Amino acid sequence: MRSSGLVLHTRDLGRHDHVCWSYDDRADVGLRVAEFLLDGLTRGQQVLYVGHGDAEGLVAAVHRVDGIEAALATGAARVTSLDALYPGGGLVDPEVQLRAYSAATEQAVAAGYRGLRVAAEATPLVRSRAQLTAFLHYEHLVDQYMAGHPFSALCAYDRTRLSEQALEQLASVHPSANLPGVGFRLHASARPGHSAELSGEIDMFNREVLEQVLDRARPPTRDGRLVLDGSDLTFIDHRGLIGLDEYARSRGTTLVLRTEFPGAARIAGLLDLPGVRVEPVP
Amino acid sequence: MNATDTRPDPRFVHPALFYRSDAEYLAALVPFVTEGLAREQPVAVAVPGERLDLLRDALGDTARHVTMLDMAEEGRNPGRIIARVLRGFADARAGGHVRIVGEPIWASRSDAEYPACAQHEALINAAFTGRDVTILCPYDTSALDATAIADARQTHPVVWEADRRYASDQYAPDRVVARYNAPLPDAADRAFPVSRPADVSPARRFAADRARRAGLPEERLADLELIAGELVTNSLQHTSGPCRLGVWAEDGHLVCEVRDGGRLTDPLAGRRPPEAGRASGLGLLLVNDLADLVRVHTSADGTTVRVLLRLR
Repeated sequence: MRSSGLVLHTRDLGRHDHVCWSYDDRADVGLRVAEFLLDGLTRGQQVLYVGHGDAEGLVAAVHRVDGIEAALATGAARVTSLDALYPGGGLVDPEVQLRAYSAATEQAVAAGYRGLRVAAEATPLVRSRAQLTAFLHYEHLVDQYMAGHPFSALCAYDRTRLSEQALEQLASVHPSANLPGVGFRLHASARPGHSAELSGEIDMFNREVLEQVLDRARPPTRDGRLVLDGSDLTFIDHRGLIGLDEYARSRGTTLVLRTEFPGAARIAGLLDLPGVRVEPVP
Repeated sequence: MNATDTRPDPRFVHPALFYRSDAEYLAALVPFVTEGLAREQPVAVAVPGERLDLLRDALGDTARHVTMLDMAEEGRNPGRIIARVLRGFADARAGGHVRIVGEPIWASRSDAEYPACAQHEALINAAFTGRDVTILCPYDTSALDATAIADARQTHPVVWEADRRYASDQYAPDRVVARYNAPLPDAADRAFPVSRPADVSPARRFAADRARRAGLPEERLADLELIAGELVTNSLQHTSGPCRLGVWAEDGHLVCEVRDGGRLTDPLAGRRPPEAGRASGLGLLLVNDLADLVRVHTSADGTTVRVLLRLR
């Protein structure tokens, strides 16, 4: 079972968890990263820290992790520099990045670890619009991968260097985040046959964020349709449904929203929304 | 709010039909329907259930060619009749003349409903100006009180009686809209204040919690959450100040009311059908769709929108 919702610390997260951690205090985020990685080592996972600076600085960044030196010596723990991973400013290629992490996960499992756990400083990868667009798609792809493979991650974002809008979008594509966020989340569904899970509340005040996030995350279609698992969607108004309709039609597809919120079917029945079909949760 | 041009309209015809008996009802309506069909005009009849049965029996086989709607259901909330019943039928059959029988007022309409019914009748004139439609509105003079009949003379440019048809010299629909734009006494024992977007989600939860405790059936809670959300969102969007949401039970209804400092200047707000590609203005239409009754009072001092949902 994956964690989802608001998280207040980085301990006890499972093999599939995917956390957005936004921070304004570098010392504090260092502790969170250490906590998350130590937890992984204790669970027999291989851990990787991706951050700023040279090898020495990276090791220093994780020095708080108990037994880190031994783990670094055996390869149970590794550190990688962002600059080495993304030379030239860092516009992520989502597919390439996904392949790299899935290969690393397979190697970790082949080497006898119970999975791969990554703590990554991701702020430099989402500074521009183009970066954010690419990265949100990547976050969604990798989230789909994590839901089915022993790969867990903590993505750290420096909120003093990012706009509130960018942070909202980033938090909303992670199943877990340490900020209340925008009221909805869009991430991989644990139930088979769904393009993604859409949970929380959608109304006038966050429908534009939803449209931007959908446009950038681009969840995969299932049999030619975009099937959203809305079993934890507790509210959506006509503006949210119109947003989903516009998104579906812009992609030339039909969006199926499966939700227990009866208001969704009521509104869909009253408006002409050719791109959306609301179905009760099976 | 002068919504209505009171000069005769060459295309839109809006008579009140005063009838005293079933026989008079049928003597006027059966020919109205059959003449329309003979001219290949689309015909709809939206009258309360037992009247519908009467007319269906009288029309016999011809009833198959008529769209028959139970006004007690479709038009339970008079605020949705223009958009959903009248324009719903007429707009889909544009291109030639359309005939509709619409009976929104009957004797058992409650005192709370009646003002909204009279305003609805008045606003039909502004909503259909220039449209190629006849909307014939039957009034049961044997059962309705004198006020309803006097109002009908103000809301209809033409009156039909059993033996004559004449222009109404009382015709003044905007006066009816204004007369029933009456203050709604503030009855909320505790109102929920909404002043910014972050208050809207808690306001919806407040409404749902109050409604659940007042006994609103579970299957209507989502309607209530949507209504409360639309009303407070409208206030935040269209006024400069805060609004207050009240939810309570009264006379077999759940009341959901929002008071703000703005003034509603468009008398047809919430009474226009949805248009493809236009998302604005849908909030009040959906409130009308979901509600059993909507009452509005608007003035320079502020606006109150009061929505009622049946508790049983």
